[in-house]
Amino acid sequence: MRIGLGLTGALLLLLGATAATAANDQIFDRQVPAQPRGVVEISNVSGNIEVSGWDRSEVGVHADLAGGVEGVEVSSEGGHTSIKVRTPAFSGHGGARLQVKIPKDSELDVSAVNADISTSGVLGVQRLSAVSGKISAEIAGADTELKTVSGSVQVKGHGQPARLRASTVSGDVHLEHGGGDIEAGTVNGSLIASLDGVRSVRAHTTSGEVRVEGTLARGATVEASSVSGNLTVRVGADGGYAYEVSSFSGNISDCFNASPEHTKYGPGSRLEGTRGDGAGRIRLKTMSGNVQLCDRQ
Amino acid sequence: MPQAQAEDTRVDWEGALVQRARTGDRRAFERLYREHAGRVYGLCLRMTRDAQLAEDCTQDTFINAWRALGKFETRSSLSTWLHRIAVNVSLAKRRKSGRVEPPPEEEEGQAGEWTLETPVEVHEIESAIGELPEGARDALVLHALYGYSHIEAAHMLGIAEGTCKAQLHRARKLLRERLGVEVN
Amino acid sequence: MAGPPNTDDRKVTSLGELPQSIEPPHDLWPRIQAQLGDIRAAADGATPAQRRALRMRWLAAAAMVACVATGVWIGRSLLSGMPGSGTAPATASHGSSIPGVAPTALDAAYVSDPRYQQQRAELVRALQARLARLPPPERDKVTASLQAIEKAKADLEQALGHDPSNALLQELLVNTYQDEMRVLTDVHEASDPGRGI
Repeated sequence: MRIGLGLTGALLLLLGATAATAANDQIFDRQVPAQPRGVVEISNVSGNIEVSGWDRSEVGVHADLAGGVEGVEVSSEGGHTSIKVRTPAFSGHGGARLQVKIPKDSELDVSAVNADISTSGVLGVQRLSAVSGKISAEIAGADTELKTVSGSVQVKGHGQPARLRASTVSGDVHLEHGGGDIEAGTVNGSLIASLDGVRSVRAHTTSGEVRVEGTLARGATVEASSVSGNLTVRVGADGGYAYEVSSFSGNISDCFNASPEHTKYGPGSRLEGTRGDGAGRIRLKTMSGNVQLCDRQ
Repeated sequence: MPQAQAEDTRVDWEGALVQRARTGDRRAFERLYREHAGRVYGLCLRMTRDAQLAEDCTQDTFINAWRALGKFETRSSLSTWLHRIAVNVSLAKRRKSGRVEPPPEEEEGQAGEWTLETPVEVHEIESAIGELPEGARDALVLHALYGYSHIEAAHMLGIAEGTCKAQLHRARKLLRERLGVEVN
Repeated sequence: MAGPPNTDDRKVTSLGELPQSIEPPHDLWPRIQAQLGDIRAAADGATPAQRRALRMRWLAAAAMVACVATGVWIGRSLLSGMPGSGTAPATASHGSSIPGVAPTALDAAYVSDPRYQQQRAELVRALQARLARLPPPERDKVTASLQAIEKAKADLEQALGHDPSNALLQELLVNTYQDEMRVLTDVHEASDPGRGI
């Protein structure tokens, strides 16, 4: 094994890369040089992945490896750093707890199966994907895509104009201080967002609930829909907004003393109106969920 | 970061994603999709004038791009390459539906920046563009909205440069009539 | 809708100021992704030995009897009512929602698209085996989500049966089909052998 590694290492060095593996070690530590705006890719089947941004042009990896982990491969070449935890398939055991520090402007790509992912202090683009892990990300102004199948998604923004896409099949989505353009979806989880001068929001759930609160930028658009989940929107917007609320069989309520119109020849109610100058646009649609729309005090 | 440097960084970043997509990395290709879907859909929508067709066109564009990634030269613009594919897809759909418009007579139109003498609302302009005959609309969208030169637009549309200029001349005239403002 | 959204009332003085980028009303990635897999599989350079090794890993998972049995049960209960399942649906997901009721505009526009039907049928066929690959807690959660989608579709189709031209219901049904496609492709990707499951 070590001879094989040595040959592999020599080959990679010839290509200008640095590689390191650890097999059956309890602790793994490695630092490799990295470009300030390079790409860092991390994959781990089971365990935990914590990534934080720092000011150094290096990627630092610390891993606590449980039994069954075959090794950690770290390689860095041409602005691309890769960290892969090797675990035998179907083992059902083992796992690695990874703590990774990356240049804060890096582009980060994390893929996990049964591992939680958390990030902080990363200012570059983030793409985090897990099957059953929970994703917890701190975002800045760069594009962010967070995807998990059965886990939940928690995002902490700072009101910066990011493009955020967050989706989970069965989990919840929680967003704090979201800014920029946001698209979020869950099938039967809840979607709760607090907004900070956001430009656009598209929120969708099948049977979960959507709760959106906060401030919109001038001319912002909010679209939220569900089949049977409740929609609650409480926002303030510079320049006001035009609103359009439709529900087939749910209740519509608002804080403006407006009365929904009922469709003449069948079920369905609709509420339309304008707040302030009507610069923004809010559209809320549901089949059987209840909808509430209010101004944020 | 200076403009030229930002452009270089962007091309590098996209080039890296294209390289990864070529090896079958679908996540890298998804990144490219997310980055360019809006511009491709915008072009498809204006050419097809139908949201459903435009979605089909966008979908087909990216699938064709995936197939042809090996042919893309990473130093050139991915956005332009995708637009070329989108134009081909739109025109193919049009040919399939049997709609063929005779080309106008070639004539030298005036060059211009496509500025309006007085401001006009965006939705009014889009509506006016939508009512143009197909050939004029295609040339106008590629040249005036997306900034392609006469030669580039002509090449994408599979027509002679002279025909493209004639279509633009026709578009200018019709827009002037429709909007009631001078189009320079 | 014909053309770009008719709601932008900004005033401009040149055509160059018109927006070049318009976001598609629906996320097209799940459908695109579903087709990429077919194309790459056709161009796959894997050797027969590599493909056999991959199949063995699949078979090893499938040999877990309890998982397979659960998978079959889940597959059957979810597949009934789905196009391509071979079982007659109680409420058809395409064509007539309720016998004797005319198809909605939705059917013509989206659900009846042959390419969509084919993609969906392939994903549904693979769903049983893919679900069986997921760890049990995740499998249960995803199953619950798929059941929520099925219920939503049934409720919407029933409502459309009484009000076929209702634009709100049609839009919500399209969204639900898209959610379903997203879930099917996410499960497909999540349970890919290459991910180490």
